[in-house]
Amino acid sequence: MIRQLAKYKGKLAADGCAVSERIAFLARDDELLSDGPQELVQLGAAILEQLSAVSLVLAPLALPVGDLLIRRAPVGESSFVPRDTETRTFLHDIPFVRLEKGESPDPAALAQLLRRRKGVIVEGVGIVAIGAFTPEQAYIHYCSVFHAALVKYLLDLLHDGFSLAGEDEAFAALRDAWLQPVTLEGVTFADKGVAGREAIYAEIARVGRYTVEKGLVDSAFGNISWREGETIYISQTGAHLDELEGYIDPVPSDNSSTAGVTASSELLAHRRIFEETGARTILHGHPKLAVVISMLCEKSDCSVSDCWRNCPQVRQLEVTPIVAGEIGAGGLAEKVAPVIGERGRALVFGHGVFTLGRDGFAEAFNALVEVENWCRAEYLRRLEKRLQKDV
Amino acid sequence: MNGWHGRLLHVDLSSGVCRYEAIPASWLQSYLGGRGLGVRLLRETYHLDPFAPEMPLVFACGPLGGTSAPTSSRLAVVSRSPLTGTIYDCSAGGRFAHRLKGAGIDALVITGQSAQPTLLRLSPAGATLEPAQKLWGERFHATAAALQSASESVAAIGPAGERGVLFANIMMGEGNSVGRGGLGAVMGNKRLKAIVVSGDQRPTIADPERLQKGRQDMMRLFKASPILFGQLGIAEYGTPTLVDLMTQRRMAPTENFRRTVFEAAANYSGPAIRKAYQSKKDGCFGCPIQCKKSTPQGEHLPEYETVSHFGALNGIADLHSIVKSNTLCNDLGMDTISAAATLSAWGELRGRFPSADEVQKLLLAMALRQGEGESLALGSQRLTRAAGRPEFSMSVKGLELPAYDPRGAYGMALAYCTSNRGGCHLRAYPISHEILRKPVPTDRFSFAGKARIIKIAEDTNATIDSLVACKFSFLGASLEEYGTILSGVTGHDYSPQDLKEIGERIYLTERYYNLANGFSEKDDTLPPRFFSEAGSSGEGIDVPPIDQARFNEERRKYYRIRGLTDDGSFKDPAWLGGQP
Ligand SMILES: [Zn+2]
Repeated sequence: MIRQLAKYKGKLAADGCAVSERIAFLARDDELLSDGPQELVQLGAAILEQLSAVSLVLAPLALPVGDLLIRRAPVGESSFVPRDTETRTFLHDIPFVRLEKGESPDPAALAQLLRRRKGVIVEGVGIVAIGAFTPEQAYIHYCSVFHAALVKYLLDLLHDGFSLAGEDEAFAALRDAWLQPVTLEGVTFADKGVAGREAIYAEIARVGRYTVEKGLVDSAFGNISWREGETIYISQTGAHLDELEGYIDPVPSDNSSTAGVTASSELLAHRRIFEETGARTILHGHPKLAVVISMLCEKSDCSVSDCWRNCPQVRQLEVTPIVAGEIGAGGLAEKVAPVIGERGRALVFGHGVFTLGRDGFAEAFNALVEVENWCRAEYLRRLEKRLQKDV
Repeated sequence: MNGWHGRLLHVDLSSGVCRYEAIPASWLQSYLGGRGLGVRLLRETYHLDPFAPEMPLVFACGPLGGTSAPTSSRLAVVSRSPLTGTIYDCSAGGRFAHRLKGAGIDALVITGQSAQPTLLRLSPAGATLEPAQKLWGERFHATAAALQSASESVAAIGPAGERGVLFANIMMGEGNSVGRGGLGAVMGNKRLKAIVVSGDQRPTIADPERLQKGRQDMMRLFKASPILFGQLGIAEYGTPTLVDLMTQRRMAPTENFRRTVFEAAANYSGPAIRKAYQSKKDGCFGCPIQCKKSTPQGEHLPEYETVSHFGALNGIADLHSIVKSNTLCNDLGMDTISAAATLSAWGELRGRFPSADEVQKLLLAMALRQGEGESLALGSQRLTRAAGRPEFSMSVKGLELPAYDPRGAYGMALAYCTSNRGGCHLRAYPISHEILRKPVPTDRFSFAGKARIIKIAEDTNATIDSLVACKFSFLGASLEEYGTILSGVTGHDYSPQDLKEIGERIYLTERYYNLANGFSEKDDTLPPRFFSEAGSSGEGIDVPPIDQARFNEERRKYYRIRGLTDDGSFKDPAWLGGQP
């Protein structure tokens, strides 16, 4: 289990959610195991012992969006609802705790919040997340809270501009450190050279890894597939895109076997897209700025209030269509398949991006990078415009 | 009071007296309902023999029954099992549960023994006992047909329950059954043939908006779960969707667990059943998942455990034989897992497993306790002991193991042993993470971390069985959503952690009862085969025997994590007295 702690610490750092030296990861077998700076471990242990959970991670966010969100929140509020659909589906709302300068967090109060929810943000301390069964769950919940906080902050900023002293500098640092274009450096694709099941598995695993390494999805999210004849090779549900070896299901299109019941929750979407477009590969990630931009809608007199689910429009973002729909059997599959073919890409409201490739993954991966880069530039352009209004 | 009615109906079959009693609010809040309430209600009687007339048979509803909470039209039936000798509960869904709560009670407690076969009729107006001499001896479907009307639901025993088959079921009108531990025999021993219930009294809801919010959150999670609503999930194919997966994972018990792959399993896979029987969706009343499947004529089709045990475990490749066996067991009122596993143990004893067309004859003999059936009716443990080969009983605490070979899932291995009702897969349902990757995947060939996972899952499931909700909902949702729903229904604030603590109390109470009834660490173990014989390795998957020392070490960790002594007993012998 101690190896697991080191592994998920590494992943948090690699995903860019936290900084390696400032991550405390704890887990309980019959005894408490821990990895990380002593004072954080102590706080984590004091919280974990009050809960019926296996693991806990506690770390400052790699970007200061947690503290910024808390300080921007109206007095009296103590939680926020994620704007992105995936986090909202799994976490519902995220409690936060304000601390005065110099005030130390109260483990009992944090445990009280974690009796109810999977993660919490503490001002000046960071995100505390727990896993009921495994360290991996704590890692996933940390990533989700981080993702939700970042997406919400960026949206709020675009809507309201800066509202705190020094916020412009904090954002400038964030922009310079993180909001740069994604490059294609170091990625290569076998595409037409891929032949046979083993080669397909290897190519899926390689491209899955690229998707995580380039920051286009957090490790435990997203999905990827390759169609060969009547079989779809697809990542399993809950698989990490950067560790897909052994976690790819072959699913026959005639449903003659149900062994693929462990396949990704988006199997349905992948099937529909293949049927509709004849593509060979599909890639699905949650690049953060694409998620942010997908939720910007200029329509003012609209009666739809749950846009992520019921927006009937196909909006167009430069060359990328945006549709609504929830994950799995929640309607996304039916909406993405008809629109993705034309330019090989589609955005799902508040969720992420689907791209496809006709020969292999090169086209799909390039499209995913293009969409996110376009959204990053677009975000900065819109933000600048918004900030000018304040001047 | 919101959510609960706050009262139970006590029926004493010896005297014929039926009376309502208030249930202390503190019991309801601390044990919720269903399994927890049933277990609490047995505190004075858990030591009685299962066939003692005074032994209660409790039908307990939960606070979510009669509300719009998903998967919650369920009840738990609780007593002591004549098969295992443990405290026993079983969760069952359907209209009977819905109407029992609709009769204006949270629990029905039946004690005593009627002089003649009898029938209990129940409605919000009260209860009456009627003679049932004419129905005695009837199979279940005939019984239900004779009693059921559009506004009434029936729970009844078949010939197996009447004759004390130790794994006899209580069957319900829509194909739901109270299975595994022989509570049908307890009912038969009381000479209670059937219960007919009507009523539509709904509990009041404290905060309908909060209930609605939890409900929507839960439905979204159900839809996001490939196992529930995916194209290959249980809503489409029912639990037999697992046949192909278990074959692929090489953990499908075959020929009394001598092997773990059955070459002909594809004959009874989810897709094969659908093709052969044109199956349609069916399921418990009030459940959005509808994981049961039936023929267009309404014949209920078997679950995964049943197809696998009437198939692989007995070396039978004929789907029609398997479906016939399932239908026959249901009509006779007999548990399919224990019946099939007992036949398999018997097959190994005699050196030949039953053939596809021999099985139904044997099942009939078993239910009627005729000829060979007399010893088969006692289950595999008593059967193999009498034959001097106890190692051929693939059971824990006398409960036959279902169709998940423990050599292919080490959490399952541990959970079979720590389950308070014997070798059952549902108490901690580690298949969820070891095989189905929910809520998060774990390494099925490793014991690392499993002790605490099993403990937490057992607590969680004890809560689910007390709400009463369906464990399959946890392939999508979690206690977070049920906490919101329960808080909305009752007006009391329940966090997921509160609910786990309630589950822990229920679990420990059960273990306390079992230990007091003579169980100990030596009963918390697997049949020796799993520690000495390998499963069927192949296709890159190695299935070695389980390392006994490592198993024992993890079991010791489990006891410690539970707050028990290293040999699994209570540190405080008076623990029970301190509980609400
Ligand atoms: Zn996604």
